[in-house]
Amino acid sequence: MVRNRARHDPRTEPAAEALRLVKVTKSYGAAENAVTALDGVTLGLARGTFTAVMGPSGSGKSTLLQCAAGLERPDAGIVRVDGTELTGAGETDLTKFRRGRVGFVFQQYNLLETLTVAQNTVLPLKLAGRRVDRRRATEILTAVGLGDRLGHRPDQLSGGQRQRVAIARALVAEPRVIFADEPTGALDTRSARDVLALLREAVRAHGRTVVMVTHDPVAASWADSVLFLADGRLAGRMDAPTADTVAERLAHLGDDAPVGV
Amino acid sequence: MLVLALRSVRQRPGRFLATLLSAFLGAAIVMAFNSLHDTAGAPGVDAVSSETLRTAAGVVGGYGTLLVFFAVASALTVNVRQRAAELELLRCSGATPGQLKRMVVGEAVAVALVGTAAAVLPAVLGGRLLVELFQDTGQVARSVDHSFGAVALSSGVGVTLVASAGAALLAVRRVTRGRRTVRRRPVFAWAALAAGAVAASSTFAFSATDEMLMAFPAQGAILLSVGFALMAPKLLTGVLGRLALGGASGWLAVRNLRRRAGELSGILMALILFTAVSTATLTMQAVESDEVAASGTVKSVAAKNLETLNYTVVGIIVVFVCVMLVNSLYAATTYRGREFGQQRLAGATPGQVLGVVGVEGLVLTVVGLLFGTAAALAGIVPFTVVRSDAVLPGQLVGVWVAVAAVGAAATVGTSLFTARRVLRTPAVRAVGATA
Repeated sequence: MVRNRARHDPRTEPAAEALRLVKVTKSYGAAENAVTALDGVTLGLARGTFTAVMGPSGSGKSTLLQCAAGLERPDAGIVRVDGTELTGAGETDLTKFRRGRVGFVFQQYNLLETLTVAQNTVLPLKLAGRRVDRRRATEILTAVGLGDRLGHRPDQLSGGQRQRVAIARALVAEPRVIFADEPTGALDTRSARDVLALLREAVRAHGRTVVMVTHDPVAASWADSVLFLADGRLAGRMDAPTADTVAERLAHLGDDAPVGV
Repeated sequence: MLVLALRSVRQRPGRFLATLLSAFLGAAIVMAFNSLHDTAGAPGVDAVSSETLRTAAGVVGGYGTLLVFFAVASALTVNVRQRAAELELLRCSGATPGQLKRMVVGEAVAVALVGTAAAVLPAVLGGRLLVELFQDTGQVARSVDHSFGAVALSSGVGVTLVASAGAALLAVRRVTRGRRTVRRRPVFAWAALAAGAVAASSTFAFSATDEMLMAFPAQGAILLSVGFALMAPKLLTGVLGRLALGGASGWLAVRNLRRRAGELSGILMALILFTAVSTATLTMQAVESDEVAASGTVKSVAAKNLETLNYTVVGIIVVFVCVMLVNSLYAATTYRGREFGQQRLAGATPGQVLGVVGVEGLVLTVVGLLFGTAAALAGIVPFTVVRSDAVLPGQLVGVWVAVAAVGAAATVGTSLFTARRVLRTPAVRAVGATA
């Protein structure tokens, strides 16, 4: 089921660095009681890697994902996906930037209730005005174990099945980077394992780059490396993580932070 | 519970705007026309004037009551559905279904009272205007003075309160029961269609100058449109089954409509009734007036009464249907913030989302106009054949264009306007808000 990307994508070869953030800053709220969610984050992720982003609540991990994915515009700094810098002002520009570059997998699946599994999967292609290859969509849905559910609607599926549809949808559009926001947050352990295996498969077999925000050390242990975030800043990195080492590191994340901020 | 009801009205007056507007308009119309009863009952009014005033009050008063009920009911149903989460919270906090019912009915009655109180002054002015109108056309003697008395006030308060309380009961029952699938029996739809066909074809039994001539085709058109309106969900799915639109927006719009045909049938119903009643009444009245003018005779008082009534009834129906359409569409579209967010996250630009909403509105308008016009023509054609030996009157085009423009503006305009506002919320937040 793995195909050469170039056959489906007429654009230039992907850049070596899938994602680069330079001094990205983002704050919310009005001037006097503004909350700084991201405070000058700089990072780079190589193509074909699986990275988990971890941190306590309010550490800015969701904001990091939204800025990196072109869902939000940072206040300052540069975001580069697949070598192209995020520019343009309006939401239409952002949407066009995201098309073909990024795909999403959310905790709440975000499938359209009015569409069937197969229709949901090809929706990004339809919206982008790209050619819809139904055979390929069916192949990918079969690969995620939903070959017999093509005509079902999301409300007829279990949570794990819905999340697998979301992954298939992200794969069919062949984006450079797949962003997953707590993809296992609403799933039981078994379904979570299936979903994580599929995300790892997307990296290993399809050569995608996956960035996953999670608070679960077990989920993070499926990644190649883990980035830790605290108070809107990068607070370390761990390669070849295990659930135990991640949990240990997470527990002591605030230790060296300045007291009484 | 009544205290809670009053407090909830005071805290969020905006949510009750549609209900208030419906109650206000309804009370104003009912009171303005019923004040004609007061005027007719005053000493020293001659028989012809009294007859004119009482007919107008009777006909429009009846229509008005029905319309107040439907308008308030639709506004309240929307209101209660929007607050499903709040009502659920109250239920979890120990409110019994009876208490919830009393709260919603209490709110509705409070809003209705405010609406009625605000409507008194406009109703007095409206009633005075009506009497002057009748005097200008010579239907009512100059000596008659408008009076606003017990009949106007009691009917205004009574009709609005009863309609509001009844509509609130229905709305809250639909929510607390949790079952939203209302099975409409096709028998009623077929009966209305059959009765409409009989009424329309019995027009041919009359002669061109018969005073009753307009009654049967008008009733026929209304009954046919009621029949079509009752079949609205089926008609919509039937049309959608055959519809294939190009482009991502069109593709998505057709699929959305297919899934939401049941929910949208209320809007379609209003559109069909509005198109049929206004097209049929206005066209037939225009034909009648032109025929009378061509023959060189002067209209009798009865004919003039009929004309005034026709225009008034159509005017009232137009206003109410517009309020209903705008309110239900506004609520239905506001409700779709999460869905729009999901479309945007899947790669839809705001323009494409608006495209989906626009196509949906357009399809609804076209289907509504199609069946509404069919019902209207079933009444218009027999009437013009008998009255003027033509099959299709020339007046039809102008009337139809005006009716279609109002219907399309209300449907497509409201949907697009609301969708634009909903799209201001960033997609990620829109998706998370109700998750």
